[in-house]
Amino acid sequence: MLVKEIMRKPVTVASVGTTLGEADQLLHSRGFRHLPVVDQGKLVGILTDRDIRFATSSLFHTPLHEGDLVTLAMSAHPLTADPLDPVEDAARIMRENKIGCLPVLDGGELVGILTGMDLLDALMTLTGVNQPSSRLEVTLRDQPGELARLTAFLGARHINIHSILTYPTPDSTVRTVLRVGSNQIRHLADDLRAAEFTVLWPLPMSSHLNPAGPR
Amino acid sequence: MPTLIHRAEYGQYDFGPEHPFAPGRLAVLLDLIRCLGHSVAPVAAPAATREEILSVHDEALVAMVEALDHGDTRPEAERYGLDTADNPVFPGMDLAARWLVGGTLHGARLLLAGTETRVLQLGGGLHHAQKDRAAGFCLYNDLAVAIQAFLDQGWRVAYLDIDLHHGDGVQNLFYGHDRVLTISLHETGHYLYPGTGHIQELGAGPARGLSVNVPFEPFTEGEGYLEAFEEVVPRALEQFAPHVLVIQAGADAHFADPLGDLGLTTQTFQTLYRRILELAAEHAKGRTLFTLGGGYEPQVVARVWAILYFTLMELPLPTDLPEEWLGRWQHLLGPEVGRTLHDQVPAFPEIPGRGERTRRNRDVVARLLDSLLRYWL
Ligand SMILES: [Zn+2]
Repeated sequence: MLVKEIMRKPVTVASVGTTLGEADQLLHSRGFRHLPVVDQGKLVGILTDRDIRFATSSLFHTPLHEGDLVTLAMSAHPLTADPLDPVEDAARIMRENKIGCLPVLDGGELVGILTGMDLLDALMTLTGVNQPSSRLEVTLRDQPGELARLTAFLGARHINIHSILTYPTPDSTVRTVLRVGSNQIRHLADDLRAAEFTVLWPLPMSSHLNPAGPR
Repeated sequence: MPTLIHRAEYGQYDFGPEHPFAPGRLAVLLDLIRCLGHSVAPVAAPAATREEILSVHDEALVAMVEALDHGDTRPEAERYGLDTADNPVFPGMDLAARWLVGGTLHGARLLLAGTETRVLQLGGGLHHAQKDRAAGFCLYNDLAVAIQAFLDQGWRVAYLDIDLHHGDGVQNLFYGHDRVLTISLHETGHYLYPGTGHIQELGAGPARGLSVNVPFEPFTEGEGYLEAFEEVVPRALEQFAPHVLVIQAGADAHFADPLGDLGLTTQTFQTLYRRILELAAEHAKGRTLFTLGGGYEPQVVARVWAILYFTLMELPLPTDLPEEWLGRWQHLLGPEVGRTLHDQVPAFPEIPGRGERTRRNRDVVARLLDSLLRYWL
């Protein structure tokens, strides 16, 4: 998933001639928290609602007023992203620098903006929770072809996979969490077990609540 | 005398022999009631019209169902939740679904006309169907069409969903509507389909606080379930003051249901049905529209819904299962059915970890109420 797929566009901007009062109103009316500041189309800074609050408060060294220009309160030379950056790289940059947004530049031109909220949307899409789905957890052996075997198994049963996440465990297996578009995963899990997959969830049909089954 | 709604055509809603949502479940149920000495005389309702379906669904979904029904091949069907493992295509599916919607809608009209205060639709409860897609065995949302009919007459509707699964379709269709309260009690969506129904889903805009979700830990038993029900449902109904209660009475929260992990027994269901009727009397002039819903173990759903029937009809509950019925349906009932209408006590061996589950469930209810009380005042 690339930045250009999840960034917001077009971008609402302030110019270097905008006052803090105007910028504050703009942020309020649009429900934004981040405002790129441009000079003749070129990005020169980022102004946040927090920047405005702090710069106009009595705690600021020389408190500004609503008629002052945004350039006095903005962060100049902000970090930026490229539309073709993978989202995970953008996330790492934002996290490591503790910043809430990244303006996206293409050839020097401001083409979009990426915020923490957009990354949360991306997380939901990546994990598939934004579609009706069930959660299936399988432990795979850490060897070639295991994931292919699992997905082929689901494909043959006409089960659509909304997402797959995998992560290594300390015991050298690969924990695989799938969100699948089916309401019938208990039977599916039993079939997977019969095919010698290790299924962590759902539990077997014959577990706690079915006294009839083997215990 | 409460009105029963059913017709043989409900049996046409059939995804095939491998699919758990089997119409045979209803035949087994009706025969059980009959063998217990009650001649069931249900009202046969007309099928819902296309226009009535469109009162809650997008035209594109209906058109897709119709096209697939006619045998057209549509690669984009999956985007509408159709031609999937859960909702495979079958000939006649459009009309089959409209029979079910028509029954629930007819129930709503009887209540609106004042000719009836208690209706049991023996079918329907297709709570997963969304505005623009079929989902989880549900093509058209009969509950939502009925709720819309109440709304069109200016009624306030409380929807109560006791199916194992979250009632996501109904919740989403009325998420911003301030004359619909939706309450769903279900196994947590952290694992189980459809993955929603979290306590933070509270409704939108003017309907904030009118979407209520009580998610339970897997293996929650009747006692914990009823405790949470009492904490949440009476208060919600009291502050909302509905004209009518629409109840999706799915039976898949029963301990022996193959799809889920809740531990309700037939005794829990009986208590639940009685409480729902009491609450309806207290807060909605006794007006209730019950539908069926999920429930995938024939011997369980027959017994649970027979208890629903006897409770709604205010008939004494028989103790034993009739021999005639046991014999006729042996092939579907399996060895688990036992000899009695109720489950044995105890119904299953103690499940480890009850203390931790109870603690977590209580915690969830406390957090839910904390959020809701901000909006209820
Ligand atoms: Zn269900």
